Amino acid sequence: MWRRSASFVLDKQQQQYDDVEKQESSLLSSTTTPSMAETLQNPSPKISAYYQTRAAHHGVVTSDWLAQAQAAVGRDPDDHPSESSSKSNDSGKPFGVIDDFNNWRKQPDLAEAVAAIRALASVIRSSQATTMMELEIELKKASDSLKSWDTTSISLTAGCDLFLRYVTRTSALEYEDFDSAKLRLIERAEKFGEISYKARKIIAMLGQDFIFDGCTILVHGFSRVVLEVLKMAAQNRKLFRVFCTEGRPDRTGLRLSNELAKLDVPVKLLIDSAAAYSMDEVDMVFVGADGVVESGGIINMMGTYQIALVANCMNKPVYVAAESYKFARLYPLDQKDMVPALRPIDFGVPIPSKVEVETSARDYTPPQYLTLLFTDLGILTPSAVSDELIQLYL
Amino acid sequence: MPDVHSLVNEFTIKLKKRKIEGSKTTAKQTAELLRSVISQQRIPHTNQAAALIDAVKAVGEQLIAANPVELAVGNIVRRVLHIIREEDLSLATAAIGGLSLSAASDDEDDAEQDDHPVLSAAAVAAAARSTLRPPSLQTLLEDVPYSAAVPHNSSSGGDSEGKSKSADKSSRSRKLKHNVIEAVNELISDIATCHEQIAEQAVEHIHQNEVILTLGSSRTVMEFLCAAKEKKRSFRVFVAEGAPRYQGHVLAKELVARGLQTTVITDSAVFAMISRVNMVIVGAHAVMANGGVIAPVGLNMVALAAQRHSVPFVVLAGIHKLCPLYPHNPEVLLNELKSPSELLDFGEFSDCMDFGSGSGSPLLHVVNPAFDYVPPKLVSLFITDTGGHNPSYMYRLITDYYSADDMVVQRRPAF
Repeated sequence: MWRRSASFVLDKQQQQYDDVEKQESSLLSSTTTPSMAETLQNPSPKISAYYQTRAAHHGVVTSDWLAQAQAAVGRDPDDHPSESSSKSNDSGKPFGVIDDFNNWRKQPDLAEAVAAIRALASVIRSSQATTMMELEIELKKASDSLKSWDTTSISLTAGCDLFLRYVTRTSALEYEDFDSAKLRLIERAEKFGEISYKARKIIAMLGQDFIFDGCTILVHGFSRVVLEVLKMAAQNRKLFRVFCTEGRPDRTGLRLSNELAKLDVPVKLLIDSAAAYSMDEVDMVFVGADGVVESGGIINMMGTYQIALVANCMNKPVYVAAESYKFARLYPLDQKDMVPALRPIDFGVPIPSKVEVETSARDYTPPQYLTLLFTDLGILTPSAVSDELIQLYL
Repeated sequence: MPDVHSLVNEFTIKLKKRKIEGSKTTAKQTAELLRSVISQQRIPHTNQAAALIDAVKAVGEQLIAANPVELAVGNIVRRVLHIIREEDLSLATAAIGGLSLSAASDDEDDAEQDDHPVLSAAAVAAAARSTLRPPSLQTLLEDVPYSAAVPHNSSSGGDSEGKSKSADKSSRSRKLKHNVIEAVNELISDIATCHEQIAEQAVEHIHQNEVILTLGSSRTVMEFLCAAKEKKRSFRVFVAEGAPRYQGHVLAKELVARGLQTTVITDSAVFAMISRVNMVIVGAHAVMANGGVIAPVGLNMVALAAQRHSVPFVVLAGIHKLCPLYPHNPEVLLNELKSPSELLDFGEFSDCMDFGSGSGSPLLHVVNPAFDYVPPKLVSLFITDTGGHNPSYMYRLITDYYSADDMVVQRRPAF
């Protein structure tokens, strides 16, 4: 008889507790169901209690929301919980760059890549190197340690690569003596924050053209760029409405909807699983990206992939807004082909220890489901991404 | 020689009255008009390129507004602007090459002129190049990452040079104009020969005993098919007649005259016949930046039929049809509604269209759109004068042929 014997189930569960459990359950076969019920019923006796607690939770959110939002602003919306957790693991590692990077990263409005590049600039500033070559080696070491310190952050990696590339590539540096070259590098690195800010403005300019009067936009996740695009469109008196997905587990959608409500844009919140349900009303899907990979696909908050799939199924365009410094030299072949970025998920109820929880924070959306990318390099088709990367790295 | 103004006005009126048929003739006439604008434009001593660009832009905006549906006009205006920028840059870099040589000889003079001495020559050249090039990851960190921030960098090269020798500069200004006109002439001849360039590739795509389907009539398609025939390929052509103008009939007549086995079908028979077809070859009105095509009405249906049966859908387009804009909203896409008289005979239907009686609004409406939008997904291949291209690679051609600045500047008046 056919039965399902997926190896991963066997690997993970059977080995862990099956042996012990089996003995117990065989001994207390009659009491297994009550014990199961007990673990489920721990918080409250009925299932609807789950929704009740959630509702109560939301009640707190709506009244006390601003305070929460303020706290949330301090963190980068991308994949920070995982980073903060890994930070606590690695905090014993004494390295100047990393500390510096973390300091920059804590600033609310600073993009990840900007923090990385500023950290590298401080490496240059404190460097004792006397030649360009030495400096380059030092920078390489620093960026390697940064990258290995947090392998989950794509824009950190991309930012480091971009800056190193600039140091080795820039022809203008060849004309200067070492000290002025150093100063120039530092100055450029300091300016990068401005560049990133300007990039967002350019993307907003390009992107808002795609928003037409009366359209409905589905947005997943909180992205500063997407918010900027919507803001710009609202300022240009475009009439549109926005559907925000809730964005579990960190409820990024709530934050976005809050921001949009401030702009007087009609906004509707959906639970993440309502994407397909409401897709027929939607005219276009807007998402940001944690990283844009070489295939032209994007790595973004969990759920982007399924929304892109649904949108593709219903022939809705999927637009991605991302700054070009998020382009990374990665080529994920499938969802699992990346360093997993884990994050704790709060289900509101205690999860029995036997139950496994998928805690990955992001997924990979292949390029065939994306329509266009709005970047500061212009409006690109997904296939243009590899072109830009090849130009830079070859 | 007639005044430029009257020439421009004349052309504008022609465009407004839709007197010019076909994007090729429009493109050619636009280029010729802009050539005369450039040749009659007085050029100041400094910032010549900017003066030329302003002049072309002013005329261009007028022309684009005259017939926004004819995207070829805007394309040619942008091409000419790009040519001016390019020529100016090549002159500027040449001049800077000379400048840095002279700077080596009299250093003290140069040092007081600007604060960053020798490096500035290379920096200015790099900056000028980056204003022309589309922004890229490479230039992201450089000093002038956005061309908009520094409008005319090349002119600063011209200024510093102007301080040293003024006689040299007047010759340069004449040279710029000369070079631009030369390049525009090249563009005109490119437009004129684009049919042949495309037709040359016909044998690579049409094979023995194949069945080709096309809709309506396009000169490019006709030349393409004839070129294959001339090279001793024997194949059959299905021509969908292309209602309501029935240009397919004209094409069929011409093809038969050239000795091609031709079958005329109605537009509605496309789905019925498509299973026997090996390849669909059609012309286009304009190719958008995302690879979508604005094509004569009915082609979206043909493209869908082709996709349903996995038949390659090939679009032939001269490079002047390549438009750097995106179809933002397919519903109100730049479309044109033609006269209903092509559909219905007024005499027979005059009763239904009686405005005087009853509620005052007629019960019968006639809509006769001229164009279809074919999304990039449905197109298998574009054949341009430079070769075959995938729809997702049209952006590449656009960055080659147009400057990023011009797209943004020209878009406002166009819409």
